[in-house]
Amino acid sequence: MKYSNPFSGGRVGLLAGLWAVAALVSSIVAQPTPAVGAAPAVGLNNGAVYVGEAVCIACHAPQNKQFTHTQHANVFRLNPQTEAQRRSCEACHGPGSNHLKDPANPANHGSLVGFTREWGTPVEKQNSMCLSCHQGGPAMFWAGSPHATNQLGCSDCHNPMARFSATGLLKKPSINETCYTCHQQQRAEFAKRSHMPLPEGKITCADCHNPHGSTAKSLMKADSVNELCYQCHTEKRGPFLWEHAPVRDNCLTCHNVHGSNHDKLLNVARPFACQECHGNPGHQTSLYNAGQLVGGGAAVSSRVLGRSCQNCHSQIHGSNHPAGARFQR
Amino acid sequence: MAGQPGDRLNMKSNVRTSLCAFAFCLGAVLAPTGLGAPLADSAVGVGTVLGNALNPAPDRTRPLDTEWAVAKHTPSGQLFRLPFAAPDSRQTAGGWEFSGQLEFGYIGGDADEQNARYQMYQDIDHGAYLNNFNLQLRRPKGGYTIELMGGGAGRHDQYYGLQFGRANSWKVKLFFSEIPHVFTDRYRTLWSGVGTGNLILLPGLTPGGAASNATNNAEVAATAAQERMTLGLTRKKSGVRVDLDLTRSWKGYLSYSLEKRKGARPFGVVWGNSGGTAPMEIPEPIDYDTEDLLAGVLHVGGLNAFNLRLSASRFVNKIDTLTLQEPYRIAPPGGVTTVPAAGAFTQGRIDLTPSNDAYNIRAEYTRSMPEFFRGYFTAVVSAGSWRQDDNLIPYTTIPNLTLANVTLLPGGGWDTLGALSRRSTHAAIDTRLVDLTLSLNPTSALNVKGKARFYETDNKTDPFLVVNPNAVYLDADSGTPGNQSRGLTLDGVTGVWGRLINDGSGQNILMGSNSNPAGNLPVKSTPYSGKQQDFGATADYRLNKVSSLNAAVGREINHREHRERDQTWEDKFKLGYANRGLGDSTVRVSYEFDRRRGDAYLTSSYNEYFSSALVPMPITPGANVTSWAVRTNSGFRAIDLADRDQQVINARINTMLRPNLDAGISGQLRKSDFPDSADGRTGQKQRSANVDLNYQPSPRQTIYGYYSYQFGRTSQASIVGGGNLSIGQVTALGVVTPANAADIATAPGGPIFPLASAWTANSTDRNHVMGVGLKQEIGRASLNLDYSYSTGRTRIGYTYTVGGALSANNAAFAGSRFPDMATDFNYLDASLRYPLAERLSARLVYRFQRETIRDWHYQNLDGSPVVLAGGGANAAPTAVMLDGGPHSYQVNWYGIMFQLKL
Repeated sequence: MKYSNPFSGGRVGLLAGLWAVAALVSSIVAQPTPAVGAAPAVGLNNGAVYVGEAVCIACHAPQNKQFTHTQHANVFRLNPQTEAQRRSCEACHGPGSNHLKDPANPANHGSLVGFTREWGTPVEKQNSMCLSCHQGGPAMFWAGSPHATNQLGCSDCHNPMARFSATGLLKKPSINETCYTCHQQQRAEFAKRSHMPLPEGKITCADCHNPHGSTAKSLMKADSVNELCYQCHTEKRGPFLWEHAPVRDNCLTCHNVHGSNHDKLLNVARPFACQECHGNPGHQTSLYNAGQLVGGGAAVSSRVLGRSCQNCHSQIHGSNHPAGARFQR
Repeated sequence: MAGQPGDRLNMKSNVRTSLCAFAFCLGAVLAPTGLGAPLADSAVGVGTVLGNALNPAPDRTRPLDTEWAVAKHTPSGQLFRLPFAAPDSRQTAGGWEFSGQLEFGYIGGDADEQNARYQMYQDIDHGAYLNNFNLQLRRPKGGYTIELMGGGAGRHDQYYGLQFGRANSWKVKLFFSEIPHVFTDRYRTLWSGVGTGNLILLPGLTPGGAASNATNNAEVAATAAQERMTLGLTRKKSGVRVDLDLTRSWKGYLSYSLEKRKGARPFGVVWGNSGGTAPMEIPEPIDYDTEDLLAGVLHVGGLNAFNLRLSASRFVNKIDTLTLQEPYRIAPPGGVTTVPAAGAFTQGRIDLTPSNDAYNIRAEYTRSMPEFFRGYFTAVVSAGSWRQDDNLIPYTTIPNLTLANVTLLPGGGWDTLGALSRRSTHAAIDTRLVDLTLSLNPTSALNVKGKARFYETDNKTDPFLVVNPNAVYLDADSGTPGNQSRGLTLDGVTGVWGRLINDGSGQNILMGSNSNPAGNLPVKSTPYSGKQQDFGATADYRLNKVSSLNAAVGREINHREHRERDQTWEDKFKLGYANRGLGDSTVRVSYEFDRRRGDAYLTSSYNEYFSSALVPMPITPGANVTSWAVRTNSGFRAIDLADRDQQVINARINTMLRPNLDAGISGQLRKSDFPDSADGRTGQKQRSANVDLNYQPSPRQTIYGYYSYQFGRTSQASIVGGGNLSIGQVTALGVVTPANAADIATAPGGPIFPLASAWTANSTDRNHVMGVGLKQEIGRASLNLDYSYSTGRTRIGYTYTVGGALSANNAAFAGSRFPDMATDFNYLDASLRYPLAERLSARLVYRFQRETIRDWHYQNLDGSPVVLAGGGANAAPTAVMLDGGPHSYQVNWYGIMFQLKL
């Protein structure tokens, strides 16, 4: 059963490109006023008015002491470019005059946008405050992303009130720790025998994933799994004279990138990993077993030793040798 | 990072280079220009962090801010971490405010452990340490900022970053980071020149070996016993990124990075006949440079957002080939003669991974449509190309090879480029992406989206023809008197087809006898291409202020050229529920069902790339048709092409047990069935359960704990295949004819794949991970404790019929499973910090780390690298395993660090 191609990639691409260019040009010409840093909606915080950060700091000195060292403070205080940025505290929390009326009363939480669960501001409103400045760019695909669909607030990951992390105003000291607060399964996988150097502080989840949304699966930062992997493993990019079909198709066919009990992040130990696809007569279909180990009692097989199949088929990601059809050179 | 014999770890030989890098950084700061902060952002590129194993995040040993209000919770109900005490800022006469810290000290104990598992991604050693430093400066007048950070100075996991600029206007980031990757510390080399493209046998070993295998084995064993060395590499990456706010609505960035990888890693080479003789582990040299150039503009204005990104990447392997001498007497394969007749195979040559280029342009556009169901539209268009045009090398470096029934024409020697059908790879793969999404909100509570995606990898490479165009067959056609010279023609090229494998020590060449033209040989490379189309719709319905229900349906269609299946399609259904207001809890659950199917699965899909395309299948009674008819058994399915039914359940609960105690519980169930796979992967199950607790009773104390359990089982099956098939052969499935030969040859239960030879295997992983930690302020002291323990077990069991897949003799040793693979890891990190003066603190550090590891792949390999299959001391080895494999270690190290506030 075959499905016909419902559209030609080139044709749709051309149309989409033209559409995008036309829309962009029209937007630039017709709407020169940017939305970045636009003032929050009228009526925010029950119609309150802005009071200025000095008023806020008068009561919130400890917060200000921490906030002073953040990226937001630099933007708001050193070189603000918009009216909203000049409002500093109220750029995020909204106008504060109503809050001043009865600041300690929980019933008065509607007088200010808060970013904690205790405060109770709806997540949509919280996020809209952030997105009033942070739309587009890396967050272009936030709407409808898995994190948005699962009702995450920006402040589920970020805490701009203090400098917990070197970058990103995260709620934890590192990107990985921030992600692990929900993705505990991945944390456990990174504790396995073979893993990427995340626990060693050399890469982060955000090297591969964009938590703010992506058009690719699993919030990947590239158009495909392989394009993502090639960012660090450029030597695997090829193309090779002799290509290995699943290697070209998807690195995940063989590897579990978050961690594995097996060498080289493999899904299954070799030779069984290879035998999941290779079923031709001969050594590909042999049942390799414990008896063939050194000291196993039976005749030793090189296919259960060391790197197993790759003892011979060492160029398994592709070969450029004219005799490399079986990836041996 | 390839240690020479006698070196414990020659990473240290690069310390001078590292220190130079550090000096450059410091000099750069004074300039002020230099290396700085991470390169990537959350959407583009890699390089999002600077740190190392001792500094996985900015100094977490700082005391907490005791003035901070009681900790609150995130919207999902997780405790916000209490902030560290704010740094003390000072001011220069020039109006710069600055703060920072320098941590230095000394580490002793077992810190110098050289076990590869310990050193895998870190470089911890005895001695003085500049562990980390950071400096933040800002000048309110003008809004200028400078940030500098670094750590691990002089080590192979060092890092430095510098960022400077004007807030909200422009910034420049520069960085340098080094990542070690140690593969083994138990490699026993037979060669000098490790890390280079020429491996010369050490004294005592003879290229081409001696006539006696026993002598060769003894010499190899003796040489291997001399030294152990470390094989590993380091990645040194530096880069610069400039971000500019061009206007209030336009931003631009430009980045460049250069990564150098250098060292060696365990690799394999094999010799002889059909390619299975004396495989041996060799050190592959690594000397790579990768340059990445990235530029983009971002626009947000009115209802539109637009990103445009251009990237170019250049990978250069500075060692194109690896030539190595080999120490065994490899006999010429059948039909091959050498000069001299014995001992001619003295060396081999591997064509290492080739240099390549990659380019990509990507445009992303979003338009909000507030007047049209409060919708938005996104379009992403991307096009790229991967290119490689490495010069090809001859089949062998061994001169004067001749083949029976083959006559070489002038210039057609197998050790010359004249034996190739072309001189360079000339390979290219183009990629294209179009991704369109339309999102609408018909009501205030309902959001619906439609999505269409097309992604293609188009392999433009002309198939490489494995033919010597300057050679002809010396025909021994019994039907024609006398000898005739001729070639076979495919795709317009005439010559002698097949490959001279493993430097001529094996051959896979059609030998040109019409009486036996068999040979299932690769004669043409396969340019794999693929197209993927995704169509889907999602709906997100808001039940109330705190809960929502979401559903998604979609179909993914994959078209793969030259594979067993032309198309597969996978239908996906997903249902999710999120509730942020279930008492003090947030609950998120989802269920997903995916069903993958495809068109006809053809085991013969590669026929056009084999020699069966050159010579028609013989039809005469008694003719051996194995090469034309026998492929994978027809019940076998490759993983990525098989029919699959997959179910996934995810659940995640965050709850506030007390105002200062939160819990996070999550779990996943995943089950995959492969209903059409009698053989291949037949099933997969995964389960995981996780629990986290965070307790923050006061600004002076925080405690955490977590536990995770994971289970995974992969099931597979196969049938041991073998034997020949001939026209007219009587089988249980009928008499073999040209018409039914392929069906009979590939049938489970047929003569090639007898059911008695069927076997199954289960690979079962079980993992437990737990951790606890404490941060406690004790008077003026700060105590940090982190402990984690993880354990992993993998059991591979199998079933078979005695006398079928395994003989009774072998079954007696095989039993029903391999020994369990096991890894246990203990880690304790303790730190006690005490202020000595206003700007100086001392920190006592202690690390306990123990890992035990057992992997049957390396069972008993550390003792004797020359592995004999049982043929006696005078047999060629079944393998020469020079890597002793991973092994256990335990370290206790301690040190004192001084923290100086700047």
